[in-house]
Amino acid sequence: MTEGSVIPPSNRSLLKPAFLAPPVGYYLIFFVAPLAFLVVLGFWIVRDYQIVAEFSVGNYVDIFSQFFSRSRFGWALVQSIYIAVTTSVFAVIFCYLLAMGIVFCIPERYQRLFLVLAILPFWSSYILRLFAWQLILAQKGVLNHVLGELGLDDPLIITNTQIGTRIGLIHYLAPILIIILYVTLINVNRNLIEAARELGATRLQAFWRVIVPLSRLGLVFAFGFGVIVSFGDVLSGLLLGGGIGRSWLGSYPLYSSMIMADYNSYTNLPRTAALATIMVIIMVAMLVVAYRMADRAKRQLA
Amino acid sequence: MKSSHEPRNSDLTGPRVNRRTLLKGGAAAAGAAAAGSLTIFLRTARAADTLRVLCWPGYEEKDVIQEFEDTHGVKVEFKIYIGGEQMLQFFNQTPRGTYDNVLADAEYIRKLAAIDAVEPYNPGEVPELANYHPKFNNMHQVQAGDGMVWGTPTRFSFYAISYNSDHMSFEESGDWNSLFLPKFEGKIGIFDWYLPNMGNASLAVHPNKENPYDLTDEQLGAVRDWLLRLRPQVNMFGSGAQAIVQAMINGDVVAGMIGDLDIDLKLAGYTNMESTIPVQGGIRWQEVATLCKQSENKELALEWIKYMSQAHVQAKLAYTKAFKARGPNLKIADHWTEEQNQLLGYYPDPNNPGQMWVETLIDRSVGRDLPVQQEEKAWIDIFNEFKTG
Repeated sequence: MTEGSVIPPSNRSLLKPAFLAPPVGYYLIFFVAPLAFLVVLGFWIVRDYQIVAEFSVGNYVDIFSQFFSRSRFGWALVQSIYIAVTTSVFAVIFCYLLAMGIVFCIPERYQRLFLVLAILPFWSSYILRLFAWQLILAQKGVLNHVLGELGLDDPLIITNTQIGTRIGLIHYLAPILIIILYVTLINVNRNLIEAARELGATRLQAFWRVIVPLSRLGLVFAFGFGVIVSFGDVLSGLLLGGGIGRSWLGSYPLYSSMIMADYNSYTNLPRTAALATIMVIIMVAMLVVAYRMADRAKRQLA
Repeated sequence: MKSSHEPRNSDLTGPRVNRRTLLKGGAAAAGAAAAGSLTIFLRTARAADTLRVLCWPGYEEKDVIQEFEDTHGVKVEFKIYIGGEQMLQFFNQTPRGTYDNVLADAEYIRKLAAIDAVEPYNPGEVPELANYHPKFNNMHQVQAGDGMVWGTPTRFSFYAISYNSDHMSFEESGDWNSLFLPKFEGKIGIFDWYLPNMGNASLAVHPNKENPYDLTDEQLGAVRDWLLRLRPQVNMFGSGAQAIVQAMINGDVVAGMIGDLDIDLKLAGYTNMESTIPVQGGIRWQEVATLCKQSENKELALEWIKYMSQAHVQAKLAYTKAFKARGPNLKIADHWTEEQNQLLGYYPDPNNPGQMWVETLIDRSVGRDLPVQQEEKAWIDIFNEFKTG
């Protein structure tokens, strides 16, 4: 190396800020700025059908004054959290089993093909998928027709319930969760499974004591992802859940659909923004919980 | 369908230019981005012979607009919205003068006038009004005072009972209270918007009220009670017509306060789908063509309004690919086939000699409006209570 071409110490290199700028800029423009605007807008008011930048906590006072009475935004929020958590549990179980099937039962050279087949729905329209599910699950749909042919006369009521909402969401989440869990399972050290088997563990014991603990990080990540996406989704609840689908909690709409209805019917964007801000705060809380769970799983693996 | 722009002056949102106004402009721009409406008309690229219209779907279809473009040698650009609130958002997100005409629901005229967006004009400028049903010449929503109007109606139809005739009889459909029949428990569909539903509920409780949106608090309380009583009968709240149509086809819903969805269903071969306005009355939606106050092309904009008032144009507008509706110009029947007239009610009413069935429906219905004695919020809160009840 000649004199004059000395590489500067890494902490003085311009490469670092140059490479950091795009992700930081992206984060600021597409996450921080819109989020900050949403939060600020929630504290503004509407006068003569126009937004006025005048600070007020009126929107939040109004929303929380009828959180569990009249408009019952709170019950809608509880319904959303309940549906999001249960959907994610079912989605993770379903996708975990599917990913296990691909990793452990399919010869390696065919695994990519099966993975592509499993995530194929990702390339079709979500709305079209929901309408297709309507045709299948409706009272006069394909499923009840088949059951009728088999002698079961009482139709299954699935559409316009939260079971319908969950089915649509699981189909939506599946391709992504399958990839997450496939990557997790493909990295499980086979030698450890074989060692457990040779030391006398049954298949079930090997599964519970080796495979599950080693895929805990992926499971936690998939679960967290599923909860957050399900919580924010509005379409499945509207098209398969009927907007007010019944769960054991009651016949409450999802919180996301309450936000949408507020936007569509009320010339008061600040109140809609306040409703959305509450949702974002819950989502951030979910992210924090998911992060901590993932962190704990990571430390246990280390 | 919107975009970057070069404001003509610093007045982005109205006459007041101060920190608040600028913040509002920023809010509108960010709101546009948040709503995913990133395309804004390019003002600098605007040709002098271009008319810009903010409207519901249907007006942009070639069949409807071609003649106007050919006659005046202009190009009409359309920005399509779905829903009155979206219309207001789109309007507020663009500099004044971007649009020459706004096609708005009649009750939104009050909001457009409040934000100084529309300009009144002399109804004498629109000679075709002579062929309109009288109710459309006397709509209080468009009266601007001193004999001037805020707009001219172009298309309308009804929110009433749509029903599956395999489950609900014609007689039952003639009374809002039939929705409470035990056989309809969990079988009723509701369009998820407070205005038409609460208007219909108001008429159910206060039959044939001249303005079902002009209620005392006590009267509004009775409407609330009626809705809460109806709640166990409700199967779904549809965010749009398509969801409810699908539910009716699938058998999940057999009737609903959703309007004349049967028109498209009948055309698709579902002959068992019907709709009617109960004896207590029903709500009518009405689209109105307005003239934008800051338009630089007012003469042409008024020509477009006159064009849209003509029977042969409304015959195409009310029968677009987007959806089927009805036209306030009663001469429309002369431009439709017998089949179209039958489908849309432009045929003699046997019980009212000298008038068409559609006129009977118009007489039985009331135009959708905004709450008169209470804030919108009071009504929305009641509707939310109904929905989450």
